[in-house]
Amino acid sequence: MVSILQSEWFKFRHSKIMFIILTVPIIGIFLGFTSRFSNEDFEINEWYLSLLSMNLTYALLFLPLITGVLASAICRYEHQAGGWKQLLALPVTRGRVFIAKYVLLIVLVLVMQVLFFVAVYIVGMIKGFTDPFPMVIVWKSLVGGWVATLPLIALQLWMSILFKSFAAPFAINVILTLPTILVVNSERFSSFYPWAQPFLMMYIGGETGDTFYVPWVQLLTVVGGSFILFFVGGYLYFQRKAV
Amino acid sequence: MEYVVQTTNLSKRFGKESAVIGLDMKIRKGEIYGFLGPNGAGKTTTIRMLLGLMKASSGTIQIFEKDLNKEKINILKRVGSLVENPSYYPHLTAYENLEALRKILGVPKTRIHEVLEIVRLTEVANKKVKGFSLGMKQRLGIAASLLNSPELLILDEPTNGLDPSGIIEIRNLIKQLPAETGMTILISSHLLTEIDQMATTVGIVTKGKMIYQDSIESLRMYAQQKVLLKVSDSEQAWRSLLGNGIKADWEDGIILLSEHSDGKVAKAIHTLVHEGYSIYRVEEEKRSLEDIFLQMTTREKVI
Repeated sequence: MVSILQSEWFKFRHSKIMFIILTVPIIGIFLGFTSRFSNEDFEINEWYLSLLSMNLTYALLFLPLITGVLASAICRYEHQAGGWKQLLALPVTRGRVFIAKYVLLIVLVLVMQVLFFVAVYIVGMIKGFTDPFPMVIVWKSLVGGWVATLPLIALQLWMSILFKSFAAPFAINVILTLPTILVVNSERFSSFYPWAQPFLMMYIGGETGDTFYVPWVQLLTVVGGSFILFFVGGYLYFQRKAV
Repeated sequence: MEYVVQTTNLSKRFGKESAVIGLDMKIRKGEIYGFLGPNGAGKTTTIRMLLGLMKASSGTIQIFEKDLNKEKINILKRVGSLVENPSYYPHLTAYENLEALRKILGVPKTRIHEVLEIVRLTEVANKKVKGFSLGMKQRLGIAASLLNSPELLILDEPTNGLDPSGIIEIRNLIKQLPAETGMTILISSHLLTEIDQMATTVGIVTKGKMIYQDSIESLRMYAQQKVLLKVSDSEQAWRSLLGNGIKADWEDGIILLSEHSDGKVAKAIHTLVHEGYSIYRVEEEKRSLEDIFLQMTTREKVI
């Protein structure tokens, strides 16, 4: 298992796609400076509004889209020139290959999350925020956003293995991500739509009674449920896939 | 008898189409097994099933006398393979391609240099595979298949797309492997001449069925030339040849001499002339392996 992960990391490390991750802090900084919120009228921590506006666009759009690109990227070089054939004819089980790819993805997304909040911090420093950095809030939305993305990554990996083309899984991802903008405006639907969860989990204005910004019930049923569905679906599909 | 590969009644269906039907393949240790058949005969499908890349619809596969379904990992540890078109990661160099595989196989790094040396790619080891010619990619594929020093090497059309010097190089390499390491090799091709020069045993498939499986020598027996005689009153002439102790067959008014050394032919003709038969024609019929192969694969039956 460890050896497969090492091999996956090696293949990824040498691909140019690695630079996609570096776009995250750039996007973050860009978002930070284009936000239209002004907190002159409010008597709250300066970081909050910055976080609110930056998290909004990032969690709604960029996070799910970039994870999709990453998923396609780590399957692309397998599709290109018979990589699957060669990989699966080695002494490996398909289950382990699937898990290794998934683990690589979620680690990358965690790195992305950290980079994003580094960007938030940089924006605040440049803007000259003097209020204390809200570590607890940032920590919650960093991990929360990551957890909420886990089911999406599972589906994106499934789709990336299924389709040989780079565009098809990306198109599916966009189609599923865009409705989020509408869905989050609805109290009723937003709790159930998996693609809305990263936003809700990173929405620092949400309920604070629970550990994260969404209730545990919702976290377990919607995020947990969709994770099991997508992960098991992709896992079983990969077991049967003829290469 | 110990078989390295043994399939029993192996079949694969794609919907209604049957790609492989009731295939019984037997490969002994140390053999170079030539797996022959026209394009689309089911060779690659069979090889994919042997490597567990594809599930068989029915039948069993035993490799190293172990069931592939039950001990896939243990089997694949001892197998090296090159399936159809060369497989590689275009964004990595030749060395990095092998390194990605080496990490999984767990062999020492020096082995990468060894296999690159074997296929003579050492000089381009640090170039991206994207820019390689087909022949170089194919050689890299062979290097990858040798990485774990396999006991069974499965090569699917390894000389496809290579130029003549590349073909000769690969052929010599393949020939020397079993002698040096006791490796068993399964090599598929649609070219009989290819297989003829390497294999010790041949299996011929067409339309998913194994129509011939025996040593290359037995196959060559069919290729032996015959001398045809067209004579007057041929049936009687044939009998008189037999009466004089000359081996011959009679078919559709033509006598076929099975012994075709100069002396034997001269003796036969002398006998016939002496007994007063008119000889119209003496012809030599050459049947190349290609002819036999074509005949087998088109007629779909064993000669």
